[in-house]
Amino acid sequence: SIPSAAQARNAILVSRRQQGNPILKHIRNVRWMFGDIVPDYVLGQTSCALYLSLRYHLLHPDYLYFRIRELLKSFHLRIVLCHVDVEDVIKPLHEVTKTALLHDCSLVCAWSLEECARYLETIKMYEHKPADDIQERTDNDYLSRLSSVLKTVRHVNKTDVMTLGSTFGTLAAIMGSSMEELACCPGIGEKKVKRLYDAFHEPFRRTS
Amino acid sequence: MLPFHEHLVTELLQEDAVVVMAAGLGLSKVLAALLRLHSASDGIFFLLSMSDSQRQALREELQEQDSKAELPVEINNEYTGSERLTCYTAGGSFFVTSRILIVDMLNERVPLQRVAGIIVNNAHRITESCAEAFIVRLYRIANKSGFIRAFSDRAQGMRLGFLRTERIMKSLFVKKLLLWPRFHLSVTTALEANPPEVVDIRVPMTSYMMGIQSAIVEVMDACLKELRKTNKIDVEDLTVENGLFKSFDEIIKRQLDPIWHTLGRKTKQLVRDLKTLRELADYLVRYDAVTFLRYLDTVRASEGVRSVWIFAPPTHKIFDLAKRRVYQTVRVDKGLLLTSAGSSRFNLKPGRGRRGSQGQGRGKDLPFAVVEAECHGHKRKRDDIGRMNSDRMESKSADVELNLDSVDSKTFEAHAGDKDAAKKGTDRTSASEEGKLPGDAGVVLEVVLEEMPKWKVLREILEEIQEERSQEPSCSTTEQLSQSSVDAGSVVLVACKDERTCLQLQNSVVEAPSQLMQAEWNKYLLEKAELHGMRTRSLKRNNNAKGFGILNGRAPKANKAAGCLNNSHSLEQNALLVAAAEVAREVIEVDNESAQRVTRSCGRGGRSKQVDDDTGSDKRKSRRKGGHQGKRLANSKDLANEDGDTLVKEQSSSKMKASGAMPPEKSTAEDGPHLVMKQGDMKIAAEEVHPRKPIPLVHFYALESEPSILEVLRPSFIVVYDPDMNFVREMEVYKAEHPARPMKVYFLFYENSTEAQKFEASIQKENDAFESLIRQKASMMISVDQDVQILDGSPVSQSATGVALNISSRKAGGRKAPEKQMQIIVDMREFSSSLPCVLHQQGIRILPVTLEVGDYVLSPDICIERKSVADLISSFASGRLYHQAETMTRYYKLPVLLIEFSQDKTFSLQSANDVGDEIFSANIVSRMSLLVLHFPRLRIVWSRSLHATADIFATLKANQDEADVEKAMRVGVPTEDGLIEGDLRAENYNSTAVELLRRLPGVTDANYRSLMDGCKSLAELALFSLEELAKLMGGQRPARMLRDFLDAKCPTLT
Repeated sequence: SIPSAAQARNAILVSRRQQGNPILKHIRNVRWMFGDIVPDYVLGQTSCALYLSLRYHLLHPDYLYFRIRELLKSFHLRIVLCHVDVEDVIKPLHEVTKTALLHDCSLVCAWSLEECARYLETIKMYEHKPADDIQERTDNDYLSRLSSVLKTVRHVNKTDVMTLGSTFGTLAAIMGSSMEELACCPGIGEKKVKRLYDAFHEPFRRTS
Repeated sequence: MLPFHEHLVTELLQEDAVVVMAAGLGLSKVLAALLRLHSASDGIFFLLSMSDSQRQALREELQEQDSKAELPVEINNEYTGSERLTCYTAGGSFFVTSRILIVDMLNERVPLQRVAGIIVNNAHRITESCAEAFIVRLYRIANKSGFIRAFSDRAQGMRLGFLRTERIMKSLFVKKLLLWPRFHLSVTTALEANPPEVVDIRVPMTSYMMGIQSAIVEVMDACLKELRKTNKIDVEDLTVENGLFKSFDEIIKRQLDPIWHTLGRKTKQLVRDLKTLRELADYLVRYDAVTFLRYLDTVRASEGVRSVWIFAPPTHKIFDLAKRRVYQTVRVDKGLLLTSAGSSRFNLKPGRGRRGSQGQGRGKDLPFAVVEAECHGHKRKRDDIGRMNSDRMESKSADVELNLDSVDSKTFEAHAGDKDAAKKGTDRTSASEEGKLPGDAGVVLEVVLEEMPKWKVLREILEEIQEERSQEPSCSTTEQLSQSSVDAGSVVLVACKDERTCLQLQNSVVEAPSQLMQAEWNKYLLEKAELHGMRTRSLKRNNNAKGFGILNGRAPKANKAAGCLNNSHSLEQNALLVAAAEVAREVIEVDNESAQRVTRSCGRGGRSKQVDDDTGSDKRKSRRKGGHQGKRLANSKDLANEDGDTLVKEQSSSKMKASGAMPPEKSTAEDGPHLVMKQGDMKIAAEEVHPRKPIPLVHFYALESEPSILEVLRPSFIVVYDPDMNFVREMEVYKAEHPARPMKVYFLFYENSTEAQKFEASIQKENDAFESLIRQKASMMISVDQDVQILDGSPVSQSATGVALNISSRKAGGRKAPEKQMQIIVDMREFSSSLPCVLHQQGIRILPVTLEVGDYVLSPDICIERKSVADLISSFASGRLYHQAETMTRYYKLPVLLIEFSQDKTFSLQSANDVGDEIFSANIVSRMSLLVLHFPRLRIVWSRSLHATADIFATLKANQDEADVEKAMRVGVPTEDGLIEGDLRAENYNSTAVELLRRLPGVTDANYRSLMDGCKSLAELALFSLEELAKLMGGQRPARMLRDFLDAKCPTLT
């Protein structure tokens, strides 16, 4: 039966060519169905993926190129999902990278069937998801903001942030603290004291 | 200089070599000698990869050997490109950072023919593709006659990894290895001819300390067992004994490193936990009881939920014992309290009890006691609920909470009243701190304040030294007098690990240790109180929900002051808070007093709340009193003659009150049987009876932060408070150089502690390392022709794929076409990675510039952002990668993200097991998916190794135009800013400070530059008023955000 348009929109469309590909077994979080499509997978209105196992590539080095050539320009995001299933990857991966790069494809490597399937699922699921998760987060609670600020100083960890916060009370006080005061904080060794002190007291621009 | 130093110098002058010397044997002496043999006319002499302290040590050594010696010029970011050129042309010796030198070499600013030689320090850090190796390579290509010498005093570092030493030597083009272990015959003869007198003192730890130590070991063991279960690690040499040594987490890290990014959360956490535990074991012997507890509190608060060890059963013991070293809580029977109201109240609070006799206090106390009883009734009820809800206060039934809120505010009013009463009382009673502190709900705080056992021993040693001295003035013969004149030899050197210990020891030796502990304890209490917001002293506001804004920094659960009477923990908390309130009030009082006497300017612009300022000034005060860094020579010349008691009185008559230590007259005003005398108190009492014996002039020396001081001070007595192998060797060398000067060394070890074991193990490990190096040296294969490869200047073609670099092979049958050399523009900051070096090895020309966008520009269209796997993960988390992808796609046609795996690590982002059943947004797959979805134009390169990356670069560059340097530099730089002059832009900024600034709330891409123009540093920024900020930031709103964040109170820990 022909799947309804709505169903098709919410599912990964899989090319018949992929029939028998073991990764299909691992697609569990998203529905998938076969459809008459040019790429191996259609993951959204403008995104598609080609599956390539490196082992297969070793046997048929031109396969990827011909598959990419068939793809329509209508896909904005063209993914080459590369299953790294050989030991000696450098040469084949180099070739695949080159082909993908020169033909406007985003190369994604995965190392297991599960991971390959997970990429397909996630890209489908996240089709309309905003990028918040990978953008700079503005966590609103004070402590995470304070740590994100102080952790810019190398090797300062969360415990140190707490120590500094509770010793000096405010960030302004931390910034104004002297070396001796910093040195009195438990857990903050000589090097960290110096780093912190330099960060606060050395001028932003070193040469004027 | 000892004979073996001279021997080494002669050897080095004959042939280039890598020198591995035992730690502390005086590497700087050898370096100084080499420098002195060099004159500016010989050409340039570079000293690479020396740490600050090493540079300092070398400078001092040079001055020592020859006061007229020319010191090496330190080339850093303060020099502009042209200034550096002038320096190089003039010749002489230079300390230079590798990054600067590499850039200068690539930009052909260094006259390589005129470079006489290069000395590489810390040779154990060299890898094939590190910056130093790159420099040496460039040098050797241009100059074949100059010397290359490398030094290391970390034998252990030289044998990490496979054929480490050989690889280091190859990278540096050096064929000879010189080993100078401590057991080298000429070293032993030199050092042991006239050894210093050594007294080894084993100080027993207190039973609590032992308890904590064994608990830590237990927890470590538990963690190790967990770790074993993961099957990812070879646990053969992972025993707890090993675990106490520093190298332990290094061993694990090294084992796990290849698969680190594929490890599960828990395993990583376990490794981190082991490190925390090892640090704890270390701090146990280094920090005093209160500081240790404070640290534990912080650790618990900051890693509570995540860590595994916190939930291990013996962990409880660590916390419990640590607490018991400081204070103990005693539960008072409620029945007793109710039946014998009058007298038991006295029992409860001896301090107030006495005040009560003035009449007022008693009246105020009465409602308090009743309220207590009431709320205890409630408490019983809720105990069960509380237990079920695992002491979550939020989960209490509403009516009970309400009830308690009102009860509690009453309680506090009662307290406030109490305080008023206390204020009226003229005599200051410190009994509450010395003995029992009243908790407001049946728990009595008993202050223990266990002192560090070594303190007492140290004081005794000093007294003994003084005695010894005073007995032998007659025998201080001419020799001794002439050698150790009054200023130098009479000082006793106490060597401890860091500044912090220095300060503490000074306080404990010069004053009474008990006083020091009391000060620490007060600090602890104040901090507690601060966190609970009690010190605002307006309790009504405290109950007002308005006060709990996010920026106010008080987590909502701070409300606990109201409702936390539900378990013993909170009873204890309350008891602590009461004690804290007491101390706080005293501090304020004292401070007011002193404020009347001296009008102090408030250092921090008076912005911080009054109370803050009090702590601040209190600290300042103690600092002033405690003496400053550098001038830590305790001025005990005069002290020595006075008796300790008057000294204490005099020095801190006002401080006395603040610290709440018992004034001397207190001892007569004994206070009944309920005052529990603990060890500490006993000691004070004892000291008060017998005036303290005089001690000699003492210098406290921080091993970690100061260069050697032996030559300056020429001490004849040294107390090694924190044993350290390096320092021991320094003493030996010093003694060997000055056999006539008497020297007696006291070692302080805690008996049966990790400290002593650690010290011995460090020596053992070094010896082992040397033995293995000696064996390696015997079978070492250094090819004779290793120079030849580069002699003809042809690139060492190590193409990983064998396809890339022969692009021209099809054309003209592989004939070498006179092709233009490929070039790649590389961002300055990338020179800390190895890729530029590898690219150069492949025959690509490197053009170092500062790039605003991307790390490598291959062509006008191709820009590459390089990420190691760890970078990838962290920059996903911070949002940096998103930003970088955004700008790259904006400015380049072919933006590329290069994910670089390291050759010796597994090639995968996660193992199949870690994929999990569900889509989890923090997973790397989810993040990669989001990235490709949002940047469909972004190309991704997954590179197996550095060499594979180089190949890909070469492939990408085929048929592309060369990029224009000027243009690449301008990309992404805001136009109003224009091009920034000079090349080393990254070097010219305090990049940490800039990054930190940009993360502050209210600071945006638009205004951070003007902020940087408007104020010099972050410290200065912190002092700016709202108006000033508004002017700089272009608006009230961002300025207020920033100011509020700067002034927000840090939330509570518990």
